[in-house]
Amino acid sequence: MNALPGFLHKILPDTFKDSINFGLHRRSYSQFRLLLFLVMIAIAMGPVIMTAGLGYYNYKDLLQKEERGQLEARLTGSSHAIEALIDSLKSVVVFVARKNRYVELTTGKNLEELFARIKRQYEYFADLGVINQSGIQQTYWGPYDLEGTDYSKEEWFKEVIDKGVYISHVYTGYRHVPHFAIAVANHDPTTKKTWVLRATIDAVTLQNFVNTIKTNASDDLFLVDDAGYLQTSSENYGQNLTQLVADIKPGLQQGVSKEGENIFYAKGKIKNTPWSVILVEKRYVHHQDWVTFRSRLLIIVIACLVINLLVVYGLVTMLTNLIRKADEMQLTMLQEAEHTDKLASIGRLAAGVGHEINNPLAIINQKTGLAEDLILISPDFEHKKAIEGCLKVIDQSVERCKAITHRLLGFARRADVHDEVLQVNDVIKEVMQFLENSLMHSRIRLELQLQEDLPLITSDHLQLQQIFLNIINNAIDAIGKDGLVNIMTHLVAGEVRVVIQDNGSGIDSEILPHIFEPFFTTKETGKGTGLGLSITYGLVKKLGGDITVRSHVGQGTAFTITLPIHSEEHDNN
Amino acid sequence: MEKKLEAKVLLVDDEEEFIKTLAQRLEMRGLKVTGATRGEEAVNLVDKQNYDAIVIDLAMPGMDGLETLKRIKESHPDAEIIMLSGQGTVKSGIEAMKLGAEDFLEKPVNMQELLEKIDEMKTKRILVLEKQSMAEIDHILKTKSW
Repeated sequence: MNALPGFLHKILPDTFKDSINFGLHRRSYSQFRLLLFLVMIAIAMGPVIMTAGLGYYNYKDLLQKEERGQLEARLTGSSHAIEALIDSLKSVVVFVARKNRYVELTTGKNLEELFARIKRQYEYFADLGVINQSGIQQTYWGPYDLEGTDYSKEEWFKEVIDKGVYISHVYTGYRHVPHFAIAVANHDPTTKKTWVLRATIDAVTLQNFVNTIKTNASDDLFLVDDAGYLQTSSENYGQNLTQLVADIKPGLQQGVSKEGENIFYAKGKIKNTPWSVILVEKRYVHHQDWVTFRSRLLIIVIACLVINLLVVYGLVTMLTNLIRKADEMQLTMLQEAEHTDKLASIGRLAAGVGHEINNPLAIINQKTGLAEDLILISPDFEHKKAIEGCLKVIDQSVERCKAITHRLLGFARRADVHDEVLQVNDVIKEVMQFLENSLMHSRIRLELQLQEDLPLITSDHLQLQQIFLNIINNAIDAIGKDGLVNIMTHLVAGEVRVVIQDNGSGIDSEILPHIFEPFFTTKETGKGTGLGLSITYGLVKKLGGDITVRSHVGQGTAFTITLPIHSEEHDNN
Repeated sequence: MEKKLEAKVLLVDDEEEFIKTLAQRLEMRGLKVTGATRGEEAVNLVDKQNYDAIVIDLAMPGMDGLETLKRIKESHPDAEIIMLSGQGTVKSGIEAMKLGAEDFLEKPVNMQELLEKIDEMKTKRILVLEKQSMAEIDHILKTKSW
């Protein structure tokens, strides 16, 4: 019998097939339990884990988006702030380099005074220089003597003439102090010539400013020029004017640091300057939220798992036990039915055999009778006495055979039940009267524990007597000499139960299942027919009752006879 | 041997050996015995001749004991019949009695018992016959004008 659908048959390992085969057999309950347990846990935990996973990734995604947004905002904010700074510096230079001031600035001490005035306001201005159209520095105020220097070949000079404004990279220059220059070109209307005002500004300005807009101590914020040289010092990526080793592209990037932390890189170009701002964020702003969320999720999932395990384990154990009990009950019932069936067919066989044997027995009986008749009328002859003796023994044997077939037929025959209302205790007492002598002779003590208020039952008096007689006789035989027979009666679940117990030799567990079969006997040949218990069994069944036996070798045997109170429960077959 | 009993007996049983032996033993006791191994044969024999007692085995192949009993009783309601059975069930016994059997014996047959039964029947039959002849005489006396 195979109740498994085909696909299940293919995917299941062989060991499990047995336990979910629905046929009636002894299955492996531990395997069945394991399988059921796994399936139920999978069903219970699947959705939980899926939901948790979904939540986990969604929340992570959300946090990252939020993180990116914040980073972008900060990047724009930072670049705008730096832009504003540069703009303000530029505007100072532009304001100073008004178109028509070329002559004024190139004469006398005007440039020195201007520098002094600017220096009072903006202390990080390092020097000022005025350069004419052909690139020759006309006047210069600063710590070096740079008057007359020719800048006409310099790239920046060409650019400032071209675009009007120029902001340089940070460089160390002659003073070995990082600084940068802002140059502004103007067309002087009086001289009709273009001139350039160039101001050098200490790079510390930038550094200070960057330090102020850097909000979080764990973050890194620095400037880098187009060639990849750091313009301000960074905490982790080198001092200013060193080449940036890390490959950071414009826009937002995500990476992992050496310590294994998540890192966000952001790079944004600052308008009108050669610089880009780089923002490195080591951990999420929402890191704490994330950690809390993760641990809570873990706790919830684990709690679910533990609860599920407990509940499923309990359920599975209960279910398995139920199934096991049901299986066992069914098996026992089947076995009992088989046993009854077997006894019934043996009964039919016995009846057939008994009947068939009766005919030849009748012939033998007649033949010996005839022989006896003939001997009676013949005169004395040799061996007459011996032959008479032989015939007598043959007659006796025929009688014995007749008794056997009689009892055989009695086992098979379903004689009518003559119902009457009776008290089981009385029947037992009557039987004990028959057996009194036999008990005394074998020095067997009798113990009666009869329930006084036992209800009257409807049953067949004679057949009950026969039943008790058979079993008590067996008990006496089992004891031999000196022993105890105990008879108990009581009312159990609406039925009368009679327990007949002896402390005799007991019945071997191997032969115990066969004792109700006809011709099964352990007595020596000729002493018993092997029909006593089978007839008893037949009688009890006929009365609608039940007979069971428990026995231990050396300790004794107990027969339990259960009788219904009402006659309609009788077996009518 | 006990007193001689004179009676005509018909034995019906499928076991020829059984009939033969039983017949021999009964004849030794002075009875006249006829044997039949089949029900039909028995019915024919009864039609031809009167018997004091008829002994029929219940279990026979073909026409069984009960059927034979029924047929004989149909044509001869006054026949005295003893049923024999290897299978001494109350049920078939009652059935046989209902169909008009006089008595019921279990196999193997006890000779003494059988003889007593036959004797009983013969006596009964004689009584019946006497009654019949009395009735006949009565009838003749009444109908014939003397």
